[in-house]
Amino acid sequence: MAGRGPMSFTGPGNYREEAAKTIRDKPEVRTSITAATRTFDAHRVHAWGQIDADRWRDWARDVKSHVLGHLDEYLEQAEEQLTANGAHVHWAETAEDALAILGDIVREHGVESAVKAKSMLSEELGVNAHLESLGVHVRETDLGEYIIQLLGQPPSHIVGPAIHLSVDDCRRLFHERLGTPLDAEPDELAGAARDALRAEFLAADLGISGGNFLAADTGTVALIENEGNIRLSTSLPRIHVACVGIEKLVPKLEDVSGFLQLTARAATGQPIGNFVSLIQGPRKNDEVDGPEEVHVVLVDNGRTKLLADDAAWEALRCVRCGACLNICPVYRQTGGHAYGWTYSGPIGAIIAPAMLGLEEAMPLPYASSLCGACTDVCPVRIPIPELLVHWREKAVEQGLTPMTETMGLKAYAKLAQKPDLFAAAGSVLRHVPLELGGRALPVLAGWMQERSAPKSSKKSFLQMWKEGIE
Amino acid sequence: MSARDRILGRVREALSERTAVEHPGSFEGWRPAAPALPVDGLAHLLEAAGGEIVRQPNVDAAAAWLASFCADFGSSAVGETVPEPLRPPLPAGAPDTAPLGVSLARGAVAETGSLIMDARDGRRAQLLVPTHVVFVRTRDVYVTLREALIELADDLPSAIGFHSGPSKSADIGQILVKGVHGPGRLVAVLIGDGD
Repeated sequence: MAGRGPMSFTGPGNYREEAAKTIRDKPEVRTSITAATRTFDAHRVHAWGQIDADRWRDWARDVKSHVLGHLDEYLEQAEEQLTANGAHVHWAETAEDALAILGDIVREHGVESAVKAKSMLSEELGVNAHLESLGVHVRETDLGEYIIQLLGQPPSHIVGPAIHLSVDDCRRLFHERLGTPLDAEPDELAGAARDALRAEFLAADLGISGGNFLAADTGTVALIENEGNIRLSTSLPRIHVACVGIEKLVPKLEDVSGFLQLTARAATGQPIGNFVSLIQGPRKNDEVDGPEEVHVVLVDNGRTKLLADDAAWEALRCVRCGACLNICPVYRQTGGHAYGWTYSGPIGAIIAPAMLGLEEAMPLPYASSLCGACTDVCPVRIPIPELLVHWREKAVEQGLTPMTETMGLKAYAKLAQKPDLFAAAGSVLRHVPLELGGRALPVLAGWMQERSAPKSSKKSFLQMWKEGIE
Repeated sequence: MSARDRILGRVREALSERTAVEHPGSFEGWRPAAPALPVDGLAHLLEAAGGEIVRQPNVDAAAAWLASFCADFGSSAVGETVPEPLRPPLPAGAPDTAPLGVSLARGAVAETGSLIMDARDGRRAQLLVPTHVVFVRTRDVYVTLREALIELADDLPSAIGFHSGPSKSADIGQILVKGVHGPGRLVAVLIGDGD
């Protein structure tokens, strides 16, 4: 697959092993992740308390559903408007296409260095590895992204890419790479990063960003952040390329007002990000600075597959706030790396099956207890647990669940249709200790990997029923 | 057939039997409590986000305040649209080396505590300086972000920035630091009687 460099994920297939390894070998990751996600979520709770959150979420759900239902029209309108603004619009069906478009821009303009604003889509596409293969020096400029780039790691959270790391992890890294003292405070560490990155900003030929929203009526790419690095990445270099997923459309610029506020409140509990960029196109004649060229790459890369699914299309409403990760009791144990691809946690588990293919995405739809906390906090009301079940059903249909599970369920179905046999089997089971019997039974064996076995009752349910249950 | 046509074709095929959802109408920022007066709301949110607020009744008073504020700085980078009386009495500095930047906001938003920075004022002076002084006239304060965006849509430069606090990050161990990339100190000077 294109863009799979050393910083990339290896795929969801090893989720169980990776999750177990993280919990066993790196208990400090769980500590950092749990603390950070609890903080994020507490901020969300506070911020939602100040608004009529239910109405905001209904509104956001309906705008997004409306856009997705007319996506072709809004895409065409956005393209037309961006072009009128002087921006270049490109269409990429796959990650390879998007990287080829970037490669052409790099070659045409002799780009030697690029600064990057945090963008999950660019992680999905593998932008960094590709640009490096073309000889371009690429620098992540979001502080968290910068830290994990230095470590050669992928992000572990949609909003906070480095939340799996402790302050001491950062102190050691900055000591080695930037020469700061081992006991430096976060202020000093951030100052060292600022100095190192300032030089990169001023020298870069190319700035690369994602896009949180794309308003069709004005052709505006809207970006949310707190550090100012996105504003710098999209303002200083002579070329700006924004990679935008085709699901990011909103009908009008005025609609962005609701989404900027709701996303910030859901993600970090702020009324709005400290910096918002609304980008229409390249520098105009009456402006003293800004990029000479702006390119917007509209990326499909599996999104139309998600749109075509009669249930899972709702996941395209996602605004990537991370609220479902923050609340998820499963995500909190390991952070994002165990999930094996760009989008982790509940949202990742429901978009992976369409974007990567169900077989490739296994077992992510099972990486959930279906507790439903995620859908309770989703700002665009994606029915995440229902969609997890949707993909589980498809997995069973397609024979992608473990053979033992399929066979076990078939055997149970046969048994359950024959009352005498059912009673006899139950009687046998009750007299075998579950630790032994359970391991021999296909369905229970999987269940018991992570749980201790309960004790069997002396009487069967049928017996108790006949004798009268108190 | 181009990539564009193939993507749009797949979108149309996916939607061919999908029931469309109506646009729900405008975003009204529904809240249980009525908002404070616009200028007070703006000041409250900007301060809560780590910004500083200075209120001056008119341009002359703001100019006097600026002259005294400037005493601590050796040079400044000044926005293109800043009117003569509000240009600091300091040598001009390049945005990437000046310790102070002075800009005029096109307006502000009470609902979010945001200063509206127009690219025509010059982006570098808004972004590269460690301390950013932004003048905004109280009559240019919008109550809601939606109102502001509707007005802005009629006259859009290449880029608009909403600045709602100093540059900050909690990426190192969830501990808040200021001034990561953009200005670490944001001073909003509200000019007018606040009506």
